[in-house]
Amino acid sequence: MTKHGLVIDQERCIGCQACAVSCKQENNVPMGQFWNRVLTEGGEKMDTPSGGYPEDGGSGSLDMQYQPTACQHCENAPCVKVCPVNATYTRDDGIVEIDYDKCIGCRYCMAACPYNARVFNWDEPEHMPEEGTGDVEARPQGVVEKCTFCSHRVDEGLDPACVVNCPADARIFGDLDDESSTVSKYIDKYETDQLLEDRGTDPNTYYISGEMSPGRPQTSDKMESELDDVSPWSDGDDDVPSEEADSVGGESSGSSHSVEGGEIPYATPAKSGGDD
Amino acid sequence: MTDGKAYRRDVLKAGGAAAALGVGGSGFLQTLVESEEDQPSTSGFENFVGQNDVVQTVCSPNCRGKCPIDVHVRDGQVKKIEPHPPEDEQYKRACVLGLSHTQRVYDPTRLKYPMKRADWSPDEPNPQGRGPDAEFERVSWDEALDLVADKMQSLKADHGAESVLFHEGSGNYGQSGKSFKRLASLFGATQSAWGIDTNVGRGFNRVTGVGAFLPPTNEAEDWENANTIIIWGADTFASQFQMDASKVLDAVENGAKLVVVDPVYTTTASKADLWLPVEPGKDVHLALAMMHTVFEDETYDEDFLRTRTTAPALIRKDTGELLKASDVFGDGGEQQVVAVEQGSNSPVALEPETGGAYALFGEFTVDGIQCETALTRLRDHVADYAPEKVAEKVGVDAENIRTAIRWLATRGPGGIAPSYAIGRYKHGHIFGQAYAMLMGLTGDYGRHGNIHAEHSGGATLAAGDWAAPDDADPGPSLYFPDYPDAMIDGDPHEIRAVYSIESNMMGNQFPDRQRFREAISSLELFVVADMHHTDTVQNADIIFPVPHWFEQEDIVSGWGSHPHLGYRHKVQEPMWEAKDDYYAIRGLAERFGYGDRFPETKRDLLRKLAGRDDDIDFDTLFEQGTQKKESVPIVKYTDEFPTETGRIKMYDDDAPSEEGVTFDVPRPLEDRTADDYEKADEYPLIFMQKHSRFRIHSQYEMLNWVREINPEPQLDIHPKDAKARGIDDGEYVRVYNDRGEMVVKAKYNDAFQPGLVNTDQGWWSRDFVEGHLQDLTHNEVSEVGQTMAFYDVRVAVESAPDDVDTDKYGSDNPRGSGAKATPTGGD
Repeated sequence: MTKHGLVIDQERCIGCQACAVSCKQENNVPMGQFWNRVLTEGGEKMDTPSGGYPEDGGSGSLDMQYQPTACQHCENAPCVKVCPVNATYTRDDGIVEIDYDKCIGCRYCMAACPYNARVFNWDEPEHMPEEGTGDVEARPQGVVEKCTFCSHRVDEGLDPACVVNCPADARIFGDLDDESSTVSKYIDKYETDQLLEDRGTDPNTYYISGEMSPGRPQTSDKMESELDDVSPWSDGDDDVPSEEADSVGGESSGSSHSVEGGEIPYATPAKSGGDD
Repeated sequence: MTDGKAYRRDVLKAGGAAAALGVGGSGFLQTLVESEEDQPSTSGFENFVGQNDVVQTVCSPNCRGKCPIDVHVRDGQVKKIEPHPPEDEQYKRACVLGLSHTQRVYDPTRLKYPMKRADWSPDEPNPQGRGPDAEFERVSWDEALDLVADKMQSLKADHGAESVLFHEGSGNYGQSGKSFKRLASLFGATQSAWGIDTNVGRGFNRVTGVGAFLPPTNEAEDWENANTIIIWGADTFASQFQMDASKVLDAVENGAKLVVVDPVYTTTASKADLWLPVEPGKDVHLALAMMHTVFEDETYDEDFLRTRTTAPALIRKDTGELLKASDVFGDGGEQQVVAVEQGSNSPVALEPETGGAYALFGEFTVDGIQCETALTRLRDHVADYAPEKVAEKVGVDAENIRTAIRWLATRGPGGIAPSYAIGRYKHGHIFGQAYAMLMGLTGDYGRHGNIHAEHSGGATLAAGDWAAPDDADPGPSLYFPDYPDAMIDGDPHEIRAVYSIESNMMGNQFPDRQRFREAISSLELFVVADMHHTDTVQNADIIFPVPHWFEQEDIVSGWGSHPHLGYRHKVQEPMWEAKDDYYAIRGLAERFGYGDRFPETKRDLLRKLAGRDDDIDFDTLFEQGTQKKESVPIVKYTDEFPTETGRIKMYDDDAPSEEGVTFDVPRPLEDRTADDYEKADEYPLIFMQKHSRFRIHSQYEMLNWVREINPEPQLDIHPKDAKARGIDDGEYVRVYNDRGEMVVKAKYNDAFQPGLVNTDQGWWSRDFVEGHLQDLTHNEVSEVGQTMAFYDVRVAVESAPDDVDTDKYGSDNPRGSGAKATPTGGD
């Protein structure tokens, strides 16, 4: 079986918003809505840190990290359970998807989703340019929509748009059921978190924080499973680099962050502007 | 659009963009995925994967991307952008802005037709009619070109060719600029000389013989070999350079230590092993403290200093000049410097790239002349800058200063990667000198893993003398900061007309905006060519509408980013009557009688220019879309330095001075950042205007997707500074000084050092509630640096008056009404 999953390396993520905007573009997401938001883990607003500016010339207590957040494609998806018309369902490959023809706009799923990943088309969706963008048809007024892991691309052997367009190589997509996939290896090797693990939703999206991974440098938009050489490392070595080999001076790099269970970092709703 | 009819594939087949464009068949046009059938997804909605025509082209602003991209076209419309790996695939890149051309290409700010200001005529320019209320009328291209050519020729006859200024910005990295300069050279016009972001490179150049904007650095593919990277005054991961973020991240993942020196806790600082929160303007003090540590620890690279620098060169104590070989040896060179052999103390003339047992420290008497080594002089100079001694002034903990430089000095190859920020302080050139010498001490030149600037050199098209042909008699050049004096007072000479391309500087990006407004109002003719209706365009007399990059064929240089040239294939024909700058340039050349000096079509021009560069084959570049220039060295500074001695200057006996300070060695000098600046009490806050990830200079201001994330100009302010002024988070504030004011929304931000405030640059007038950030900046430059000092500015901040109208950011306009409004003229 195939189970699609996403690993996001927060040590690599630079909060550049390329994933957020390329998602809108690819998926023809209406103005005012985001399927994929780059949240700031830190201060109360986008691109602000927590903690205080150092007063003694030291490094102080400031801390900031980015957490791109979209549908987590939960194994045990609460949205699927609550949908009264089975419009939201889990595909055989693990992708949680909405049948927009069935959706009645009751928004139970939005209430059930602990990740605030879903948006509702209250009004007639507005697109700029108005003919729409990307490679999927627009959804009508009155339905809920959300990240599909770009299932329309995945079905064609292509990585999701957010993955292809990440300039920091921080997003890795692949088959969690395949032990040799980069996602499986990274989940095995690095400290990863699933958001709100205590809710029992078992997301297929994992976040690396603490030690930085090599990410997945991409020179193609094809999914890893479609490539002959899946090695993300330039020397062609198919193994994850060892601790000894990849550190200089015997010290690990990067500061340690972790996603605390129980609370999603502050996100400004897109409708009110995002960066105010 | 829910029935999907508009997107049925049969419609596509009939009206496919490839056929409409006539670009089918060759290597750059390809279908992404072969697909026989429409792809209804499981949810019953139509999937267009595989149905797009894909044109490989290049994004072209002045950023560090120059990203080769694929433009997906369907139903004759641009539908999306994706990065396209260049010939050397590791340089695959794109950012949030380049990915959003899907919106930019159709934005209502695009100029459609040539226009003339309604109340302008060659004999009655009516300069008072310029500005926000100017009205424009549509003219034909021939009419526009005739008006401009006639006026320029009459000015040339009456006031000399140099009374016409050809001003070129950086808004398009194609080849039209070279022909613009060619026309200027043939005409004899004044040409623009760059005065932005040239400070740090100038200082670095005095030491090493190279450097203009920033110095050359190893290409990005080599950065993963760095063991220590000190990013100094640069938000590399956010500001223009995010396309190469993966290269720095790879170094960190490999175990490199990342140090960030910045008064702001930036995205980049948040990734650092060590952040040094330097106070604005104190970077030279900090660099000298680092040198102090290197001397204290004796971690300098002796072999490098002896072989590649003037560290062992002797300085005459009587004159302060370097002892020359001609002073000592009968046949010695007048530029050749002299060291002494350790032990024997006998003098020896230093050759480039030649080591020896030269004494690095000490005082010696040679032929009766008392001397000391340059390194001794430097060590004595920095003796006053012990980390403990400067810590308070610099705002950085002494031990952290030591740790940062110890990593660079002892962990193997690494580098210091500044950006342009420090050059935006008036005397920023001194920092260039300081860090060039600091890296000389640590021996970080010419090795894998060395970094000297936060963006690599990349590749440019070598077009020989195209811009200034042998038989031309080019006019003078004029630095940007000198424009107003020339236009208003005729100093150093009169400027009566300006032809501006690829630039929104005169109306938006130059400092002291009101002074530049006054300068524009002294002109008889202001011609502006642009893609969009910018603030500069609104002040024009004649407007040339330029097409979007996707509608102009070009060769795009990879300057400052990656070692490729890219072929910018047309995605679609120019919309409306917009025409490539080259059309207007050639049209004017014909009217001036130089028509035969300019190939007839853009394609001919590009073929001709490419033919001048031995590394490039036009057909290969055209077919592949990108071509790597193999002559671009990955590792820089491997050869003799282009200085008089062939060595890095650790002492400059011919140094310039300003304000009574001589820069034989780096000596701190500050302007408005100084604590005792005369108006520090009146205007207590330092004001910077950071590059953000959301604009490239003033480009991309109009992207509605981006404005959902970053809707309006704000003032980043530390909560302590805000509260002391009774300012709430999110409240509109008036920011002012003795030049002007602006009204923007306050954003509490603990990342900003108390005493420092910021508004990201690149917003247009229409985005401000009142005023503009360039109403606060000034146009005073240092004699040595000749660089606009945007960050050397002080302001005061208070709550905005109650009656200020902030409706443009009301709930009906979350992205700002400015972003939606269709401009009044020019279309």
